[in-house]
Amino acid sequence: MDNGATMHLAVSPLPGIAEPSPAAEPDFSLLARFVQRAEAAGVDLVIFADSAPASGSDVATMPFEATTLVAALATVTSRIGLVAAASTVAHQPYNLARRFASLDIISHGRAGWNATMAQAPREAANFSRPEGFSGDDFRRRSEEYVGIVQGLWQGWDKDALKFDKIGGRFHDPEKMHLLDHKGEFFSVRGPLNVARSPQDRPVLVLSGLSASDMDIAARTADVVLLDDEPIESAKTRHDDLKLRVAACGRDPDAVKVLMNVSPVIDDRPAVTADRLEDLFRSKSCDGFNMQMPTKLSALDSFVDLVLPALRRRGLFRESYRGTNLRSHLGLAGGGDL
Amino acid sequence: MTAASRQMKLGAFLWATGHHIAAWRHPKAHVTAGIDIDHYIQLARTAEAAKFDMVFCEDAAGLREANVAISSQTSRSIGFEPISLLSALAVQTSRIGLVSTASTSYNEPYGLARTFLSLDHLSGGRGGWNLVTSASPIEAANFGSTGLRPHADRYQRAREFAEVVTGLWRGKPGGASGSGHDSQSFSVRDPLDLPRSPQGAPVLVQAGASDVGRDLAARTADVVFTAAQTFEEAKAFYDDLKGRLAAYGREPDDIKIMPGVAPVVAETTTQAQEKYEELQELIPDDVGVALLSSYLSIADLWRYPIDGPLPELPPSEGMQSRQALVIEQSRRDNLSIRQLARHFAGARGHWRIVGTAAQVADELQARFEGGAADGFNVMPSYFPGELDAFATLVVPELQRRGLFRKDYEGRTLRDHLGLKRPM
Repeated sequence: MDNGATMHLAVSPLPGIAEPSPAAEPDFSLLARFVQRAEAAGVDLVIFADSAPASGSDVATMPFEATTLVAALATVTSRIGLVAAASTVAHQPYNLARRFASLDIISHGRAGWNATMAQAPREAANFSRPEGFSGDDFRRRSEEYVGIVQGLWQGWDKDALKFDKIGGRFHDPEKMHLLDHKGEFFSVRGPLNVARSPQDRPVLVLSGLSASDMDIAARTADVVLLDDEPIESAKTRHDDLKLRVAACGRDPDAVKVLMNVSPVIDDRPAVTADRLEDLFRSKSCDGFNMQMPTKLSALDSFVDLVLPALRRRGLFRESYRGTNLRSHLGLAGGGDL
Repeated sequence: MTAASRQMKLGAFLWATGHHIAAWRHPKAHVTAGIDIDHYIQLARTAEAAKFDMVFCEDAAGLREANVAISSQTSRSIGFEPISLLSALAVQTSRIGLVSTASTSYNEPYGLARTFLSLDHLSGGRGGWNLVTSASPIEAANFGSTGLRPHADRYQRAREFAEVVTGLWRGKPGGASGSGHDSQSFSVRDPLDLPRSPQGAPVLVQAGASDVGRDLAARTADVVFTAAQTFEEAKAFYDDLKGRLAAYGREPDDIKIMPGVAPVVAETTTQAQEKYEELQELIPDDVGVALLSSYLSIADLWRYPIDGPLPELPPSEGMQSRQALVIEQSRRDNLSIRQLARHFAGARGHWRIVGTAAQVADELQARFEGGAADGFNVMPSYFPGELDAFATLVVPELQRRGLFRKDYEGRTLRDHLGLKRPM
């Protein structure tokens, strides 16, 4: 029976804190087990950071590039949402839009892109931009970039592909649309050479938001990740963002606010559950992004000890209601809500 | 070297519904290939069961054909982005190599090196990158360029790009110098943040066959994918490229040359011929002419009489070597535009063999033993049927002749190809 609960839960395995693997090689099977465990528990989505050299240190962080990892994980899971971080400095918008459109088809509508609005230190120096970007330039460039990607994701209408062998009509020419974007930083004609997303378009998750990025988030995001804060300020921040969403002519519920939390669960799971309940019931957020080491033991603590408490209290649903990520998140376009 | 000791290398070139332009219309073609990951998993497993060295994916960062009236009659406008596709296949296969095309014009070396190294880790050392420079103005328009870069500039960038990528794969920050890389084209500060490849470095494949393309291949490539219609063309290319290696301190065997081959195979010659005719009949004239136009990099070939000869052509900034091949073929066989278009539409300038398994094996063996190829990139007409046919008819014939492995001996793509592990 569905308990009608509306809290959303993401899990973010932290890079650099993986379980020691007997093999020296990066271990895909550990990550696969981690995500399968989260899926068995009904978690909405897993978010993978992408650790292109932020610090310049030589410590191996997440051992795979995030979009390739998500492609592989998509084939060993069937319900859970899979979100990869990908940098707007490291990729051209056309290439990034293609990669995620393709991930979305591979995963049957479970993919999302985590775009960060914060510049990673040193990254630009590895991508032929040694001078980097000023804060203002980076913000304007990011917004333009996100608009291009979302536009490209809608270049093919839902019913564009005809597959009509006898009539010789593979697709309907009227249902393919050029983007013809010409902006300050990019010009992109389009369309994408990947079909329309099974969930309408991949989910856009924005993180690294400063106060001045909130209008961009309100205009474009499906999910925003915000840092942990005390209830009062979290509530103010949440309400402010939802007002901005409404001001853009969007349903306030079209943007889900997930708060980043890094719980220490082992001793007192009820304390963690209490805190999440308080934050959620005060309408400070729509759910949580649980940041934890990439260890099965850390995930087990959460799904065995905290999740059952949240379910008993009617806060988190018993099981998946749909098959794609938009439907898990209660976002429009999910189709099978 | 005896035939038994020197083994043919085989690539399975996967491309949506098939390599024949009208493949998708064939009754047995899987028409939704471009949105069906399970289809690709099945193809990769078929190729792996047949002990192919690798699966190979083409790529373009844009539509293949600007004219939507034409493109809507083909299945080429949509498909998987190949790096994500091969990353998915990596964990659904265990032995076969996984090679994807990616452009040096529209990527940065640090990101590309990192992405392919990740594919290599996901697959346990079976990844490879097919370097292309991108000759299409349709792609250029997706990357803010007002026009295509001249051929020579593209290759200058590609050479530097390959140097930085191979340096990063060998653990060096930003290329061969080991102290970061700075030039007009690129700046790269740091080493990659991923562990070293299980096969030393992903395999580097290259396809350009122009003079600068050959030099770049001789300098950097492990495998060269090429198009050659006749034995003589294939042999001339093979000898020329192998001859360039010494200048870069490399041995002839350090590069595997694998021309494309587009076989149509059946139990009897008649059946094979019928199968081929059936596909040819499905090509609309305007689609054939458009495909030929794009190979010749001229937009208005349709203006010329379709039953007349190919017009004189100005030099192009597009695929120079392919263009020469098309022109040579039309003059040699005295073909009209329609005939040439149909002929090329089927195999895209690659070598077409229509026949029984024994006939196909004879032709492959002649080029392999005649010093014109180290192996072949097999381009099935439609999927899955024609890959199945090659796997079940031709591969056993090659194995009987001692030309192709009966089982994998190694774990990595470099093992399969007999390539040295880079230092």
